[in-house]
Amino acid sequence: MNKNPTIVAFLCNWCSYTGADLAGTSRMKYTSDVRVIRVMCSGRIGPTFVLKAFREGADGVLICGCHPGDCHYHEGNYKCLRRFHLIQKYISQMGMDKGRIRLEWISASEGKEFAELVNEFSETIKKLGNSKVKEMMEELV
Amino acid sequence: MEEKRIGVYVCWCGTNIAMMVDVKDVAKEMESLPDVVLARNYKYMCSDPGQDMIIKDIKEHNLNRIVVAACSPRLHELTFRTALDNAGLNPYMLQMANIREQDSWVHTDRTEATDKAKSLVAAAIRRVVHHKPLQKRTVDVHADTLIIGGGVSGMAAALEISDAGKRVLLIEKNENIGGTAAKLNLSFPYMNDANGAIHNLIKKVEESDQITIYSKSEVKEIHGYIGNFKGVVKGQDEKETHLEFGNVIVATGLKSIDAGKIKNYGYWKYPQVITSLEFESLTKQGKIVNEEGKVPDNIAIIHCAGSRNDNYNNYCSRTCCMSALKYANQVRDMLPDSNIFELYADMRAFGKGCEELYTSTSRRGVMFLMFDQRNELPVIKKDEEGDGLVIEFNEKLSGEDIQVPADLVILMVGMEAHDDAKKVSHLAGISMCGNGFFIEKHPKLDPVATTTDGVYVVGCCQAPKDIPDSISQAQAAVARVLATISKGSVEIEVTTAEINKDICCGCQFCISVCPYGANSFDAENNVSVVNEVLCKGCGTCATACPSGAIVTKHFTDEQILSQIEGLMAKVLELEEVETD
Repeated sequence: MNKNPTIVAFLCNWCSYTGADLAGTSRMKYTSDVRVIRVMCSGRIGPTFVLKAFREGADGVLICGCHPGDCHYHEGNYKCLRRFHLIQKYISQMGMDKGRIRLEWISASEGKEFAELVNEFSETIKKLGNSKVKEMMEELV
Repeated sequence: MEEKRIGVYVCWCGTNIAMMVDVKDVAKEMESLPDVVLARNYKYMCSDPGQDMIIKDIKEHNLNRIVVAACSPRLHELTFRTALDNAGLNPYMLQMANIREQDSWVHTDRTEATDKAKSLVAAAIRRVVHHKPLQKRTVDVHADTLIIGGGVSGMAAALEISDAGKRVLLIEKNENIGGTAAKLNLSFPYMNDANGAIHNLIKKVEESDQITIYSKSEVKEIHGYIGNFKGVVKGQDEKETHLEFGNVIVATGLKSIDAGKIKNYGYWKYPQVITSLEFESLTKQGKIVNEEGKVPDNIAIIHCAGSRNDNYNNYCSRTCCMSALKYANQVRDMLPDSNIFELYADMRAFGKGCEELYTSTSRRGVMFLMFDQRNELPVIKKDEEGDGLVIEFNEKLSGEDIQVPADLVILMVGMEAHDDAKKVSHLAGISMCGNGFFIEKHPKLDPVATTTDGVYVVGCCQAPKDIPDSISQAQAAVARVLATISKGSVEIEVTTAEINKDICCGCQFCISVCPYGANSFDAENNVSVVNEVLCKGCGTCATACPSGAIVTKHFTDEQILSQIEGLMAKVLELEEVETD
């Protein structure tokens, strides 16, 4: 790996984004490799956003939503889970390592868990190395 | 096409951001991005001068889009939206970049944190280009309020609303209202008659024409949104009542930790060991006697039973230290010749009159002995020589292993959230912290509201607190509720879904994924339609729509995809600079 990985994280507003904010208010430290994009619900996250992040040069994509049963919109996280399996399958078929995407449930009180998750996922991505999707796409074009 | 004129504002937040992020560098670099007219940095963007700066710039430079890089949008998005509104710009033409909670506070390398800030702000700039003005929708507010829980917080809130001439639906799961406070005899620090005061409160609530009490009842369902909630309450004989209300106050209170959990204290083994609430009822009867009817000579009061300990609850229950001092005084008054031992871990005597109570109690022949929470808790044993008990522990201040005789032990049991807190949190659409207490909207700036508009949390269901704090919180929530009622209407979010009829293929996927039944099928035109009143804007249908006919306002594909583009473009650009 010749450069630090870039992880694009999609976080739901109610649980996970609040959890990430809590990591901040609690002054927990984690890698700066992650950059968060806020959506209202993990049910809003689909293949379009994930593939776009890789297309633009992300090395990993993290998706976080409320724990099962705790979704602010009742069941958006379940829909996210189903789509996640689909995206995993899809990127594997395209020749990418499915470990480059990860889905985890982070509640509003789990700042510590969020910080640990980001650090751990960053290590995983470092092992996988930089993604070549962007370069390959540009060659194709 | 309209010319995009973006103003970028990077906040220092005093030193909170500026210490880890080079705010001036961030602002300077943004100046060169397309559509950016100006980029400024300032000490406190949320302050009045900060907001005035934005307002002035909007007017003078004809800005039509604003990016504020500061704290979390969950904190100040509304503040800056209001500033835009005051400048005559649609409030939705704002995008915030979170460079505090998710950047300066969590990173340790200034260069990395600054680079991250640049990419987050660049992403916000690219996103805001695609923002569209949205009009707030105003809805009427139903003037009735649902209060869940008839303890001191719920009762205080109910009375306050009733005094304003508005109706309250008070739900109590027990037969009688009053809650935990009704079990108390005196209150600290002034040894007032809590029992009388609470029963006076109960009487007033019961006598109020405005308050309908649903006792032995539980809330089964709550639907709707601020101003327009509908609920189902199940009462005795499984009878269901349908109710309508505009606001919800959650006041479900506390339960005591199960004293039997703490093995060292032998709560189930020794009848001489009782809990604080059991002691309250003893004093109410006016006679301090142990299980065998014997008047005790040696009374030990053990603080922090189940609190501030890694094996039980790690938080402080806030009221037990002062209640323990109250007990020492009550014992001294009723049994002047007894020996009183206070076994404490730390004495927490904050609050009006509390330190004074500590001082005066310490002058009444009470023995204060300290134990260390990090060591093993004191052990209660049967006295081999007599028929009483002994408490063995290492006294922290002297460092000595000591034994304290006791024929009555009072455990100051800590507070816990109710077992059904999770159920209530789902009902009301609010969050719980790891300990099961409900989370307020903001721990400092908005301690009574929740993330669901129109739902408030008061009393010990939010966190352990004493009676005056519970009442203050209840009255604060009521002020918010009455504000919406007196205004008669509230503005609600308009970030709902919208279906483009020209693109919709009529597959009805959106109908099957909507948790609110907001989407329906217009058979005549063979397209789906959104009911904007029911839609909560989660965006699930937009993601499910195979033809891309659904737009989630303010979270459109275009906006989010642009945000990703802006973000990654800056990341890669900065990487190149580094490797050059």
